[in-house]
Amino acid sequence: MTSPSERRLRKEFLELIKNPIPGVIIDGEKIEKNINEWNVTIIGAEGTIYQGETFELQFLFNDKYPFDSPSVVFIGKNIPEHSHIYSNGHICLSILSQDWTPALSVGAVCLSIRSMLSSATKKERPPDDLIYTKTCSKNPKKTKWFFHDDNV
Amino acid sequence: MLELFSFGRKKISNKLLIFIKTNTGQSLSLNLDPEWNISNVKKLVAPQLGLKSEEVKIIFAGKELEDNTRISECDLGQQSVLHAVKTKSRVNIESKTKRCLDVVYDDDNGNNVIDVASKPLSSTLVDLQLCGEERRHVSEKQSDKVKANFFVHCPECKKLCKGKLRVRCNICKESCFTVHRDPECWDDVLIPKKIQGHCESFEIACMSDEENGLPFAEFYFKCAEHVSGGEKDYAAPLNLIKMNLKEIGCLSCGDISEIVLVFPCDAGHVTCLECFKLYCTSRLQERQFISHENYGYTLSCPVGCENSFIQEIHHFKLLDKELYDRYQSFGAEEFVIQSGGVLCPFPNCGMGIIVDEDCNRVHCLNGCGFVFCKICKQGYHIGECLPETSAQNNSTLTEYSVNPNKVADSRWEQERIATKIAIQVTTKPCPKCRVATERAGGCMHMVCTRAGCNFDWCWVCQTEWTRDCMGSHWFG
Ligand SMILES: [Zn+2]
Ligand SMILES: [Zn+2]
Ligand SMILES: [Zn+2]
Ligand SMILES: [Zn+2]
Ligand SMILES: [Zn+2]
Ligand SMILES: [Zn+2]
Ligand SMILES: [Zn+2]
Ligand SMILES: [Zn+2]
Repeated sequence: MTSPSERRLRKEFLELIKNPIPGVIIDGEKIEKNINEWNVTIIGAEGTIYQGETFELQFLFNDKYPFDSPSVVFIGKNIPEHSHIYSNGHICLSILSQDWTPALSVGAVCLSIRSMLSSATKKERPPDDLIYTKTCSKNPKKTKWFFHDDNV
Repeated sequence: MLELFSFGRKKISNKLLIFIKTNTGQSLSLNLDPEWNISNVKKLVAPQLGLKSEEVKIIFAGKELEDNTRISECDLGQQSVLHAVKTKSRVNIESKTKRCLDVVYDDDNGNNVIDVASKPLSSTLVDLQLCGEERRHVSEKQSDKVKANFFVHCPECKKLCKGKLRVRCNICKESCFTVHRDPECWDDVLIPKKIQGHCESFEIACMSDEENGLPFAEFYFKCAEHVSGGEKDYAAPLNLIKMNLKEIGCLSCGDISEIVLVFPCDAGHVTCLECFKLYCTSRLQERQFISHENYGYTLSCPVGCENSFIQEIHHFKLLDKELYDRYQSFGAEEFVIQSGGVLCPFPNCGMGIIVDEDCNRVHCLNGCGFVFCKICKQGYHIGECLPETSAQNNSTLTEYSVNPNKVADSRWEQERIATKIAIQVTTKPCPKCRVATERAGGCMHMVCTRAGCNFDWCWVCQTEWTRDCMGSHWFG
């Protein structure tokens, strides 16, 4: 008997294979080895400042997914330069923490991140990038995020 | 007092042991063959009561049972109680002075509604999750599937059990009571005084202060999976647990389970029971249950729908024992906070302490023994609280792994920092609810992690977060 979180992830995986999201590539082989760790490639959309770049996202799920949000970070050499993405790959996006609901999915997160990238007009790091990356915990879920946009 | 008769045992092949109670204080026990019908029962009972069988009516679970009703249709368990009452003859009623009873037995059209026998409630009741049109268009074929299903948490079996709906009089609490209509929704069952009926538990009928003088039906539940422990053997109804008649997939794992929990939101979001437990576990770990003033320590729909609190907190009894204990202790702590107490800020403690209003010295007597200042949550000191000097010092911060859900994890994680220094450098109380909060780097805007507080505050000023804070020290 597989766990509910595993069953849910399998369903999401099959759904993304059947109905792929443009500009989002899922590493199926890796998922087959470990369903709790997904690597997703995001391709910078045409006509945006990230056109021609590719980025790698890592999703980590725990056994309480989808009630617990996944941990989602950019990994690899190319971390998108964006006002909500820290240079260590952590992403300041409310649906990844306080606004997460089990009705969301890997696909929904990829779409949000892609549109967050597409709407950027300037390549820049968050204002607190230096201090944050020095002091934060390894796990972005342990960060008590304040969402830069909320009150601005 | 009670006279106990016992008879008929030699002829009848064991089956159900049933008690018969009369409104004159007699009580009999019978062994009933499930294939028998009510008229057989009347023939057995009547002579014992000195009556003819036509003069007896049998009442069970809010209904007077028809003669041709089979025992097996009645949802009777071992040691259930049936009520036998002498039929009031027409003469009897009409000869009475214009007392309430006349009114009681006349319906709106002036018809005499006394002695309207019917099928047992368990076979006429349509599942309460169906409403309006759905109820009316139940086909013959479906009717078996849409029979009312009730689930309870049984304190005897200590698990989720099938339940049985029972009815009693709201005045005398006895169950020789017949309802004027079947319940059609959960509100009819769970909210008092929705359905009237008449009570024949005693020779003088119970009267209410309503205009028509009728008492109300009081519904309650019993476990259907263990032998009845008598009329006081109740079980809490789990009204959100339902048969998945519409075959809806779990919002979490997607499986279509036979039994599901339907959240009380407008959308009626569905989870399987396994995922419901997972949801509770996850929210409990993050201390995201809410202390609701009417319902208690509870949760709402995981999708975040409005007005979707689980009102019957017995649903949390579905959690494993260890988790349920934690639920109870967190609930108790939350109660402490709401009544003006504090939680011990010492790592791994989190004990709820009721504090003395005039004294800032708090001693964690029943927990770790830590003595701290009620205001700054640091070790107790005399005089003013010290301004937090080292807190913004980055080099200090980096030495400690930082955990924002401090209170949340208080008894969950072993890998926590167990030094007083950690308290001093990384924790500050939420200015509103005083729950200790750790800062995890990033900006100075803090949002209290305690469910129900969520206060926005400034780490530097330790007051509400303002635009000034944003302008002058947003990032430190
Ligand atoms: Zn039971
Ligand atoms: Zn009564
Ligand atoms: Zn499920
Ligand atoms: Zn909902
Ligand atoms: Zn303590
Ligand atoms: Zn102090
Ligand atoms: Zn607070
Ligand atoms: Zn401030």
